Amino acid sequence: MAKPTSLKLHTKQNIVGWAFVIPASILIFTFFFYPIGKAFLLSFQTGFGANAQYAGLVNYKRLLSDNTFKTSLVNVLTFLVLQVPVMLLLALALAYTLNDHKLKFRALFRTALFLPCATSLVSYSIVFRSLFALDGFMNALLLNLNVIQSPINWLANPWTAKLVIMLALTWRWTGYNMIFFLSALQNIDRSIFEAAIIDGANGFNRFFKITIPMLKPIILLTAIMSTNGTLQLFDETVNITNGGPTNATLSISQYIYRLSFQYSPRFPYAAAMSFVVFVLVGILSAMQMRVGDKR
Amino acid sequence: MRKRLSLLLVCVLAFGLLGSSVALANKTVTVWAWDPAFNLYAMEEAAKIYNRTAPDVTIEIIETPWDDIQTRLTTAVMAGQTNSLPDIMLIQDNALMKNVIDFPGTFADLTNSGIDFNLFADFKVGLTSVDGKNYAVPFDNGAAISALRVDVLEQAGFTLADFTDITWSDFIAKGKVVLEKTGKPLLSIVAESPDLVMMCLQSAGTWLFDEDGEVFLANNEALKEVIRIYVELAKSGVMVQVNDWEQYISSFTRGTVAGTMNGCWIIGSIVQPEDQKGLWGVTNIPRLETVPNATNYSNQGGSSWVVRADSPNRDLAIDFLAKTFAGSVELYETILPSSGALATYLPAGDSQAYGVPHEYFGGQAIYADITQYAALVPQVKYGVYNYEARDAVGVAIAKVLAGLDIDSALREAEETVKFLMDF
Repeated sequence: MAKPTSLKLHTKQNIVGWAFVIPASILIFTFFFYPIGKAFLLSFQTGFGANAQYAGLVNYKRLLSDNTFKTSLVNVLTFLVLQVPVMLLLALALAYTLNDHKLKFRALFRTALFLPCATSLVSYSIVFRSLFALDGFMNALLLNLNVIQSPINWLANPWTAKLVIMLALTWRWTGYNMIFFLSALQNIDRSIFEAAIIDGANGFNRFFKITIPMLKPIILLTAIMSTNGTLQLFDETVNITNGGPTNATLSISQYIYRLSFQYSPRFPYAAAMSFVVFVLVGILSAMQMRVGDKR
Repeated sequence: MRKRLSLLLVCVLAFGLLGSSVALANKTVTVWAWDPAFNLYAMEEAAKIYNRTAPDVTIEIIETPWDDIQTRLTTAVMAGQTNSLPDIMLIQDNALMKNVIDFPGTFADLTNSGIDFNLFADFKVGLTSVDGKNYAVPFDNGAAISALRVDVLEQAGFTLADFTDITWSDFIAKGKVVLEKTGKPLLSIVAESPDLVMMCLQSAGTWLFDEDGEVFLANNEALKEVIRIYVELAKSGVMVQVNDWEQYISSFTRGTVAGTMNGCWIIGSIVQPEDQKGLWGVTNIPRLETVPNATNYSNQGGSSWVVRADSPNRDLAIDFLAKTFAGSVELYETILPSSGALATYLPAGDSQAYGVPHEYFGGQAIYADITQYAALVPQVKYGVYNYEARDAVGVAIAKVLAGLDIDSALREAEETVKFLMDF
């Protein structure tokens, strides 16, 4: 006869499991999902504090006629289209090179390439700003090499300013993505490559017919993470160019910050804007899943 | 035994907390301000003076950068948690009206608090009052100065007097001569920061908003004239544009640029390099010749003290400010020589300390001169949407420099500001 007071092993494990999950879940719900829900409600209001009223889609309609918002949207999409593919290709190439076990000083190169990720966003941005200053290192270098005749005012021209931001982003995030590729490459069974070599596949074929298909889930992951990161760009543009010149590098996040804290506070409108970013990230990720994930 | 011990421990802790919080609630006034060498130092000296008559009051000063003060203030008011704010806060003058109007009831109305606002410079009282009510105790002076390297001017055959009480076209003409003979521009400026433009506007008694608070850019003749001057300064090379504040400061501390124009608080940065001692001079800024009522005086920057309206220490905080920043000439005499913190408290201007010659400026009694400038600064209202308009004007200037005509650029700017105002 079973003891009436003792629980079954299965139930007991269940309770232990829940006990582990519940504290973290409560924290995530209170500090993450609850504010998201509140912000969603906020985006349908006008006014603030005690005077807030529901006003339907007013804030979302307003976005359609906001030229500064459109400028910032075009800016981040430009970064997305031009910088993310280059960065991911570079990360993939570097990971592939560093995965070669005949290469000497591999650990050193890996550390060197990953090191930028350990620097704070603000400090590296400030370093980039001074590198590309009118009397900065880049101009001095190019002048001494006789590449240019007079110093370029990098941060004062819309396109060169965008270029500096993209260079900075690439420097900071390539190593980060490379680590994902590297760990995925190390999980590919060496015997697959050996078999391919025996079958007569050259390096080119091995890379495109074996490596790339096997890395697909990771390429997808890094692409989605980079898309997400670029749409939420803030630290780099604030610290390198402060959104200038003529709003040419203004990111959506910086505009949201301005609307909330620098201008007369417009929290509901800013909340609506952040939900548009949220939806955009969702759509772009879904598109990438559609294209990339054929499982 | 162990249980009893821990219970005892809990009791001791609880009482300790209770005890200290009671003591804090009654006798501590908390203050948020930025800049240790300037504002915080002044506050510490004020606390010392106040403690002589009220030794049981602690003035707790917490260093908080301005951007953080604005962010925390906005967040606290929006969330209805104003008790997370200190009793006294330092607020930038250009954001004061915005905060008072956007957050009604947050700041104590000081009109009938016993502080005599007639004793402060007019323009400063104008900036710190809304609808005739005073919301802040004016503090530092932002009277605009034109600081120039007298030795460089002499090389070009000029003296400081040649740059005093002049017009902008005069300034540009003479600046070109200086540039030609010495290779040095007279001004540097952070690109897209409209500070100089705003300074010139105030010197003519106009602003980016009209008297009814409506945005006033597209048809603002004074603004158009200022932008024309700005473009000429930039194109002629008399003024160079740099990308950030550090480069701006180093442009004149390293001597690549022979002067600067800003609020008088910039003196703190000018006097850093030892090798330029005695080479500088201070005078008033050029005036706009085509604009009626234009003067050679303006203001740039500056901040004032506000008191939180629902603070339990409200009266104590007001009393503290009344007896120090709004009532102690001694305080201003103490902080002037070591920090260069010029007051807008007029009785302090008569003090001996202000007449002392400054050796960095070749023995010129600059503080007495600047106090005179401050009295002549035209009064304007910065308005609720000042930051919106500033950014829009900054973009407009960059567009004009890139080739767009002034009228179209300002029309665009006006539309942007109108859009941001219309909620």
